[in-house]
Amino acid sequence: MSYRVAMDIGGTFTDVVCYDERTGAVTASKAPTTPGDLAEGVFAALGRVVDDPSAISFFVHGTTQGLNALLERKGARVLLLASEGGGDVYRIARGNRDRMFDLRYRKPTPLVPPGDVMEAGGRLDWRGAELVPLDEEAVRRAGRRAREEGFDAVAVCLLFSYADPAHEIRAGEILAEELGEDVLVVLSHEVAREWREYERTSSAVLEAYTGPVVRRYLADIERRFAGRGLTVPVHVMQSSGGLVNASYAMRRPLQTLLSGPVGGTMGGVAAARLLGGRRNVICVDMGGTSFDVSLVVDGRPDVSSEARIEGFPVLMPIVNLHTIGAGGGSLAYAEAGALRVGPESAGAVPGPACYGRGGTRATVTDANVALGRVDPAWFAGGLMTLDAEAAGAAVAELAGELDLDPLRLAEGICDVANAKMAQAIRTLTVEHGVEPREFSLVAFGGAGAMHAVFIARELGIGEVVIPRFPGAFSAWGMLEADVRRDLTRPYFRPQDTLDGPDMSQNFASLEAEALDALTAQGVPADRRRVEHAVDMRYEGQDYTLTIPLLDAAEPARPGFLAAIAARYAEAHTSRYGHATPEAPVEFVMLRSTGFGSFPRTDAAVAGPPAPAEPAVRDVIFDGEVHATPVLRRAGLSGSFAGPAIVVEETATTVVPPGCLASVDDNGFLIVKVEAHQ
Amino acid sequence: MIDPITTEIIRCALLQAAEDMNTTLIRSSYTPVIYEAKDCAVALLDRDHHVLGQSSGLPIFLGNLEVCTRETERRYGRDVWREGDVWVLNDSYIGGTHLNDVTVYGPIFADGELAGFAASRAHWLDVGSKDPGGSMDSTSIFQEGLRLGPVKVYEGGQPCRDLHEVIGRNVRFPHATLGDLRAQVSCAMTGQRRLREIVTRWGLDTVMAARDEIFAQTERLERAAIAAIPDGRYEASGFLDNDGIDLGTPLPVTVRVTVSGESIAVDLTDCADQATGPVNCGAAQAVAAVRVGYKLLVSGDVPLNGGSFRPLTVETRPGSMLAAESPAACQYYYSHLGLLIDLVVKALAPVLPDKAAAASYGDSMIVQFTGTDPRTGKLYVSQEATVGGWGAWEGGDGETALINNVNGSLRDMPIEVLETLFPVRVTRYEIRPGTGGAGRWRGGDGVVREYEFCGDTSLSLWFERSVTPAWGLAGGEDGAPPRVTLNPGTPGERAMLKANAVPVRAGDVLRCESGGGGGYGPAQG
Repeated sequence: MSYRVAMDIGGTFTDVVCYDERTGAVTASKAPTTPGDLAEGVFAALGRVVDDPSAISFFVHGTTQGLNALLERKGARVLLLASEGGGDVYRIARGNRDRMFDLRYRKPTPLVPPGDVMEAGGRLDWRGAELVPLDEEAVRRAGRRAREEGFDAVAVCLLFSYADPAHEIRAGEILAEELGEDVLVVLSHEVAREWREYERTSSAVLEAYTGPVVRRYLADIERRFAGRGLTVPVHVMQSSGGLVNASYAMRRPLQTLLSGPVGGTMGGVAAARLLGGRRNVICVDMGGTSFDVSLVVDGRPDVSSEARIEGFPVLMPIVNLHTIGAGGGSLAYAEAGALRVGPESAGAVPGPACYGRGGTRATVTDANVALGRVDPAWFAGGLMTLDAEAAGAAVAELAGELDLDPLRLAEGICDVANAKMAQAIRTLTVEHGVEPREFSLVAFGGAGAMHAVFIARELGIGEVVIPRFPGAFSAWGMLEADVRRDLTRPYFRPQDTLDGPDMSQNFASLEAEALDALTAQGVPADRRRVEHAVDMRYEGQDYTLTIPLLDAAEPARPGFLAAIAARYAEAHTSRYGHATPEAPVEFVMLRSTGFGSFPRTDAAVAGPPAPAEPAVRDVIFDGEVHATPVLRRAGLSGSFAGPAIVVEETATTVVPPGCLASVDDNGFLIVKVEAHQ
Repeated sequence: MIDPITTEIIRCALLQAAEDMNTTLIRSSYTPVIYEAKDCAVALLDRDHHVLGQSSGLPIFLGNLEVCTRETERRYGRDVWREGDVWVLNDSYIGGTHLNDVTVYGPIFADGELAGFAASRAHWLDVGSKDPGGSMDSTSIFQEGLRLGPVKVYEGGQPCRDLHEVIGRNVRFPHATLGDLRAQVSCAMTGQRRLREIVTRWGLDTVMAARDEIFAQTERLERAAIAAIPDGRYEASGFLDNDGIDLGTPLPVTVRVTVSGESIAVDLTDCADQATGPVNCGAAQAVAAVRVGYKLLVSGDVPLNGGSFRPLTVETRPGSMLAAESPAACQYYYSHLGLLIDLVVKALAPVLPDKAAAASYGDSMIVQFTGTDPRTGKLYVSQEATVGGWGAWEGGDGETALINNVNGSLRDMPIEVLETLFPVRVTRYEIRPGTGGAGRWRGGDGVVREYEFCGDTSLSLWFERSVTPAWGLAGGEDGAPPRVTLNPGTPGERAMLKANAVPVRAGDVLRCESGGGGGYGPAQG
């Protein structure tokens, strides 16, 4: 029992990171992802780092099964049961448009076609009091139809079920009687106990649509792992950045939807902890086609309570990821005499010109090759050889069109791409009312380390951190995450109707529920903790801010209203730049989150000694050629000044002149950046 | 001569500056009408009042924020601009829209020199009109609330207390209104900071050279798009149902478009005189509406900036409904503008078949009720727009249950939120089948939304497009018009489309049915 293992299943590769508890050594590897049977790729990757699965003490993985089913529209066949008079709510989808100048706008095609929506009588009022009893016969009819027509799942969303779930619970019982175990029944209040019927319906439908696929996969992988001698439960990353065991994930599969990408953010959280004293981190993940940004603020991941996936809203805690179309494959082109870079991408095929797969248009990667910032022989750890001539030709052709020197253009393509990525970061920081220059930038993914210093410079960020195994950073992040369970309870109270002791009692019962949930996850009593917060706003507002409480008992203590109103005003000022302290507040939602931590020991950095004489290449920086050493990441230690190129299997780090780089005790490569003058 | 790399980086930075302003406004606004309905727009302007970067929540605010800075300078001279000042203006005859749309703007100085302006326009929940939330039967701008000319709301970075007092005492929800004002001031300050950063980094001369080049690039793209349209005169007409006062008289709007080489001229002079009811707008807004129609059809993918509308001219007739003068009422300024946008599309549809679509259900279809909530004893105002059907095109059915063009990305009000906030119940919210026009491609359907009131309330309605419902194209049929019924199926049943402050009792039922979109091509036998 000595290995902790994390696995991240990506589109092309399944990454694995293994931590040896005896030696503190960390290793990473990968195997091709096997789309037909993902478990095959998982076992192949595992085999590269661990001989004997019974020696694994902890296993976590990010699953893309649910997301793939959604992206490919290959999810379950779902019957939707709604309240009478509200069956079209799902189709109406709040009636809004995402694009303003489009006469031919279409909403995303619903996952449940209109003919598969049924209604049942029964109605609650806004407090959850029954106005009309549930029409049980109508529910039974839906159950019979689901059975006869072979539906895989039934989603139930009744109006005001968040205020009182009794009707939904009863409907669930009736459906279970009709359908037995084989058909998944999803009750909206269990998926998201929040108001807004369309968003809750959409969440329940997404769980029903992706749930059967995720359940099948997790049951299968647990069974096959057990067959190979794994003795510990399989853990799964949730979209919130917290872990749960597979048996819980099978009951609440929706939470695993964005399992993979959030691993990187949790890696950022762990990096902030290990780096010591860095509470604020910007995480950037740059690959071939997209650039993802997320934030760690005050040591915590920036988690929203709502998101949109493929145009469908989901109410669930989810790490806030901002994505733009910018990556190594972004195309550069001329338009009316102007230079443009992206968002259109050359993709994997034909890919950048330097891939030699028939691409002739210049991309960001081609520009990097032309500048000498990529060693053509070392790309992707030597798995792929790049055609530097083709890159140069593609850049030169565009340069001719724009009447520019080719190398000047190559640098310009990178500059424009860097400026756009810096702006993507700014979009997120402006939204949060924080200043990027107070953050460290953690860069990972295939192309992140190549651009990170330049992006940091644009934003006045003073420090860039390149973790070990930048390509497998999401998997490493999963290894470092906590177990997490989120509980909510709607609690709409204008301030003049606030009953502090009652609110406290509600939090106390949520806390007990959260502790039980952690115990059910196998977390020992001394490693559990519960945090409480309340969603608040000024009367007349619609959006809320989540304000943390000291503990569950705080609302019962004297002076609570004044204290929480002041805390709200402070949060409002910090996020929005102003507040209205004299305006009355209201409470909307109680939130309790249980965390269970795992014991950790610091990783030791071991590696072969650095080679004596590094190779030297000509690299262009600011229009000048610099003789630049190419250093191997493995075994790198101490500090060195730019210019330098640091290569490793999954990434290339560019350290421009004027920057100072060093390797710390945890193996992080840290680059100190001077801001733009 | 500036190189294309620097130009592109500066262009991206200016666009991002406008986005940052927009994010600041939406995230910090107090009332849902701004952050939920996106009933707002922001612009970063150069010192000559041209758009450097714009982020538009509502398309209808396209390119008309600059009229505010321009008019201020015209009145008081360029020397009026002082660092740290912020101005406010909502005059309908300058800004073009109703008094609820308040533009807040401030000059931006870099190294002591005027570099540009930051401006935002946002819809304030209440500006003290005679009825809460806005009147549907106003006949003069003096009934529509507090009217602010160009006036300073911040001076030298400090709030002007006097004006804040005036605003606070003339609106029904001062916390919310002053909260939104603060959000707009934050937005202006974000724009100031960003443009100053850009100018500091590249220098004002370089930024101005980049500006000239960006505008020239955009103009080239616009002119190329127009050149692809066959030269000629194109025309379309329609009617607004009425002005909300004289319910029997439809009001005509005609659009005449002349395409000639690389330019487009639009003549709006042939329309009704300014009306008694609140359906008038300032000329600036009619120009903006034409720009929206133009953008929808001709160059939706070309970036927006000071070069965008150089090849487009618009002629209006002072004293007409589309270029109203004091004291014309302007509260519902947008109904005929929605019609105007659709008519621009209709006029050019025959020569741009691959971009046009049949008409949509057309207007916001407002349901407003106000009273004292029996549960809390407090005054409330509920105002909702209703979604409806959009037009079909060659190759696709029109979308069902979608918000009208003029309302941008407005989302409908969830039943669970509505019933929690207001004493009402929604008993049906359904698609209204068969209301989309038939055709080879069908128009989208409207919806039925039925309310049961739980307390006595005062009901106002503004439903439009019954005289000119959503027209079909290329032989497709028209969509069904809207229909609103109070207490349907009872002896007291009453049909109405526009109404102001009708008393309604607890237990009364209101059924609102929105129209469908037009079909495309003849229906199969």
